[in-house]
Amino acid sequence: MSNMTQRFIPNHTPCGQTRREFLWETGGGFAGLALLDLLSADGFFPESKEPSSQNKNQNKYFLASRIPHFPTRAKHVVFLFMNGAPSQIDTFDYKPALSRFDGTAYQGDLTVGSNDRPVGYLMQTPFNFRSQGESGLKISSLYPHLSQYADDLCILRSMHTDTAAHASGCLQMNTGSVLLGKPCLGSWLSYGLGTMNNNLPSFVVMTDPRGGPISGASNWTAGYMPAPYQGTLFRSRGTPILDLATPAPYSPRSQRQALDLLKSLNDQHLRSRQDESELIARINSYELAYRMQTSASEAVNLGRENKSTLDMYGLNNELTVDFGRKCLITRRLLERGVRFVQLYSGGGHIEDTWDGHTDCISNHRLHAGETDQPIAALIADLKRTGLWDETLLIWGGEFGRTPTSEGRGKPGRDHNWYGFTMWLAGAGVKGGQALGATDELGFKAVEDPFHVSDLHATILHLMGLDHTKLTYFYQGLEQKLTGTRGRVITQALA
Amino acid sequence: MPERALFGVLLLTSVSYCVLAKAEATDGSEPLGPDDLIQISDRNHWAFQPLSRPELPPVERTSWIRTPIDQFILARLESRRWSPAIPADTNSLLRRIYLDLIGLPPTLQEQRSFLANPSPESVDKVIASLLNRPGYGERWGRHWLDLVRFAETNGYERDGTKPSAWRYRDYVIRAFNEDKPFDRFVVEQLAGDELADTDRETMVATTYYRLGPWDDEPADPQQDRFDQLDDMVRTTSQVFLGLTMGCARCHNHKFEAISMHDYYRMVAIFNTLKRPQSGRTELDVPVGTQQEREELQWRDQLIQKIEMQKQQLIRNRLTTWMEQQPDPSDPDLPTALRTQTGKRTAEQKQLITKYAESALSDKDKKRLSDWDSAIEALRKATEDLPLAYVMQELSPIPPKTHLLMRGRASTPGPVVQAGFPAVLVSRQPTFDTDTEHTSLQRKTLADWIASPSNPLTARVMVNRVWQYHFGEGLVRTPSDFGRAGQPPTHPHLLNWLAHWFVHDANWSLKKLHTLIMASNAYRMNKTGNPEYRADDVENRLLWRFPYRRLDAETLRDSMLAISGKLNRKMYGPSMYPFVPKDARSGHSDPDKIWKAFDEKEASRRTIYSFVKRSLIVPLLEVLDFCDTTQSTEQRLVTSVTPQALILFNGNFVNRQARHLSDRLIDQAGDDAPNQIHLAYQLALCRKPTASETSVLSKFLQRETESLLQESLDIKEAKKRALQQMCRVIFNLNEFAYPD
Repeated sequence: MSNMTQRFIPNHTPCGQTRREFLWETGGGFAGLALLDLLSADGFFPESKEPSSQNKNQNKYFLASRIPHFPTRAKHVVFLFMNGAPSQIDTFDYKPALSRFDGTAYQGDLTVGSNDRPVGYLMQTPFNFRSQGESGLKISSLYPHLSQYADDLCILRSMHTDTAAHASGCLQMNTGSVLLGKPCLGSWLSYGLGTMNNNLPSFVVMTDPRGGPISGASNWTAGYMPAPYQGTLFRSRGTPILDLATPAPYSPRSQRQALDLLKSLNDQHLRSRQDESELIARINSYELAYRMQTSASEAVNLGRENKSTLDMYGLNNELTVDFGRKCLITRRLLERGVRFVQLYSGGGHIEDTWDGHTDCISNHRLHAGETDQPIAALIADLKRTGLWDETLLIWGGEFGRTPTSEGRGKPGRDHNWYGFTMWLAGAGVKGGQALGATDELGFKAVEDPFHVSDLHATILHLMGLDHTKLTYFYQGLEQKLTGTRGRVITQALA
Repeated sequence: MPERALFGVLLLTSVSYCVLAKAEATDGSEPLGPDDLIQISDRNHWAFQPLSRPELPPVERTSWIRTPIDQFILARLESRRWSPAIPADTNSLLRRIYLDLIGLPPTLQEQRSFLANPSPESVDKVIASLLNRPGYGERWGRHWLDLVRFAETNGYERDGTKPSAWRYRDYVIRAFNEDKPFDRFVVEQLAGDELADTDRETMVATTYYRLGPWDDEPADPQQDRFDQLDDMVRTTSQVFLGLTMGCARCHNHKFEAISMHDYYRMVAIFNTLKRPQSGRTELDVPVGTQQEREELQWRDQLIQKIEMQKQQLIRNRLTTWMEQQPDPSDPDLPTALRTQTGKRTAEQKQLITKYAESALSDKDKKRLSDWDSAIEALRKATEDLPLAYVMQELSPIPPKTHLLMRGRASTPGPVVQAGFPAVLVSRQPTFDTDTEHTSLQRKTLADWIASPSNPLTARVMVNRVWQYHFGEGLVRTPSDFGRAGQPPTHPHLLNWLAHWFVHDANWSLKKLHTLIMASNAYRMNKTGNPEYRADDVENRLLWRFPYRRLDAETLRDSMLAISGKLNRKMYGPSMYPFVPKDARSGHSDPDKIWKAFDEKEASRRTIYSFVKRSLIVPLLEVLDFCDTTQSTEQRLVTSVTPQALILFNGNFVNRQARHLSDRLIDQAGDDAPNQIHLAYQLALCRKPTASETSVLSKFLQRETESLLQESLDIKEAKKRALQQMCRVIFNLNEFAYPD
């Protein structure tokens, strides 16, 4: 049986040699060492042909590039996480029947929240829905910019999840489980596909300036997988990565001198320990860190973007500047080979997120207003650069909101895990359609219900991975992102 | 494994349902229906065999043998005509032993006194003295905390603090330092509240059960209850027995002879435990002997009575007084009086005190003060007990436990009696339920696990200790001794050690360390014969001592010790080290979530650092800290860029580098070679080579010159150059990967 402690088995090259043998024989030696990571990242030394239960042959080149289970178009994922749970009723799930019952007490048998909160009174949406594009998809007036791309969206109107609490909801959306300690979607992709670049993290997370999602880093953790599969928190201003900057009072010159000293002493130390690949890997990590100082700072430096691009993303507007900046950086990260970018809209608690308990209407005006133009700009820009053909976009939150208000004259909507909307767009996705449906009131998914695990199976599929085969052996079990559930939403595929 | 598959199919059919139901109709001590499917071959699995003392194998090079361990190791090597690596040089060995046993490097004085007479026997003496240092428990206790998923918050939305959880951490450190026999250590954690000699310490030990994550707002409370029980079954079976029982929650184990029935037998044992809580607020409870707790209860009841008398008197007097007043007094007063004592606001209390002054006669006041004295006397006579974060059993009668079909709380199957995994026992135990307070189910479990005849407990623990010394265990899947795990590289050695541990060492971990570290196998160098690499790159035959990066705690604690800033304060509530604002930005409460302590408090050993599930201190997290949500049997070692960033650019290391440079100037003066020499002795426990001294001297000189050009004065330039050097030393491969 396989297990995690076998990870130090050396990699065998296609010709049956170890990396080191290969390097020596090709005259690599010391000069060749710097190539190690490049070669492994390029897939020259694949861990195994297929990314299934790779930890059997795992070693420390965790992020070596790997061949997907089947050929596919998508190489990148951008997950636009609407933290706090957006209301489907007010965005992408038009429910005209609701206006007939507006203000009446809810008579059904569904309950909300975890502590028997009153379900309240049915409340119609104040936003206008219009048919958009050739497909005629109905999208609310919260999204004037995004509506232009209606024909690219595959709207999933019948999502449902297992919990109505934010923490466990975010965990389930990100890791497939309501329990702590599981690797998240980005980790599974890093594990299954490896990295496509050498100077930046493969899996990047950008949070909202108002704060992170509830339970913070648990949402981008690698769980029981090794640390290289964890998401890297990226800031959209200043130094993007923790401790990336040269610390005061050292100058760039002095920093380089110190690194050179470190390298020379480490090389001396290595001379009598030539076979210790861990020591070599550690030497390389300092050089990569140094390169990252330049490359990551360059990735967030928008100085060379022209004004029309900045305006398109809404950087000239206080409302949209933050999310716009993050969307523009996202495009730059994708260009530089980052695999998975997750952007959070909303952070902290309640009204600072999409969690519109008091006044869902103003809340959504704010949060949709902050994100609509930037998301549309990202789509336009990806189309312009050609990245659109290899990038999968996901939009949604941890669950949805109720078609009811929390009280008369209190236009807040409560948590709804029975039915909510997400959308997919981009590489491999069949746009211009809405799949599944909630009931007449938009409360519960009734037609073709899609569970979060179905979404995960579909995302993996679009990335060329079979969710039943992408496994990681841990605690006596071949673990999967989708557990024992999940089926690919085939109607969503182009 | 066709019989396993059949087993699985059977259990999920209605046929097996009947079998199970019928089986349960018997008294529970007979072998049960589904257990009949266990094959002889299942019971014959190597790890389930009774411990025995194998003969020591013959070896040729008897001069290498220092302990029986060496004999087993050498025999395997000689079977391939291999030789073990030569002994490590004395400096390296000294550093290895210190870091391994206490997680701190030897001081200059310790180095000097050892190097004066570096014989193998003086190495033994160093080991013996280190085992008696408080640092031993702080180092080895941390290994145990990894295993039991120790953390001080619950995780999830509120990530609430587990009150008094640090007492468990202190308990573990003390247990290691006192060399508490391991069998007793097991019993205290599993049943410390059910013992004849239960006291505050043994009760604190049971915090073990409550350390897992806990969702205070679960989507499905019923399912959540079983998730909590799952955490206990999973952790207990892995940590103490090396069995992955968690896999049998929803179906029979796919690889092991562990059925769902076995899983729910264990669930039934823990199902008696209740979590003291008030809504979403978790409670800690007073712990002590039965008598202490009863006395405290009696005292508190008495105090409560007196308090009620006091309040009644005040209320009566004030009511009468109000009626006598011509003008209505303060309108808020009647409300304040009506409010329960415990629920009154500060203003209300103030109001009552204010008017009571006029309403009470001197005689009343005397009575009140007498009562206060009585309360004080009671408190003095019976002191408060420490509060601990433990679960409670409130009744001696265990609740019914059902097998849950597909693991779902909504689909209960047949009732399951408490019991042990059937493959490990010839008959199920009878649980004594004849007590007043608890079911004693956990006591029965603990006694079975800690029994000398349990085939797994000693094997698993001996292997863990071996792993923490050598980087890898004799079984390289330390929490999985089942079929899915790896077989031991040295089965006879493992068997011998386990038997010796139980019967000769009486479960003493310190004796076990002493034996292992007295071996030549432990004292080998890390080079070995490179020709063996091709056949055994994983060093399974132990032809050399393996390289392994120091863990996060040892790196951090060593830097503090070397910089001279380590605060050796032990025990008590945890400290909060500095976490940069940038690292907090991912949290939903970035400003409030982490209030760092001042540098002195924060410079305590890392084991005293608060473990918050939603915000792991970045330095630790990046350096492969354990998973805080589930048992971690072995830290991973990765080499990733964020490590280089945090160690080279981060606040902590640069701060320690500054302190170290101050120390160097203070103790070695202005002379660069002297400073370099001292830095190497402190950090690497050896003299720098001539070439290193030259490289570093040149660096200091060049850097000083450059800084002078950048318009620093000479003193400042020299200091900063030295800081740079210290920063580099803390980042050396040799620092992180000791020889």
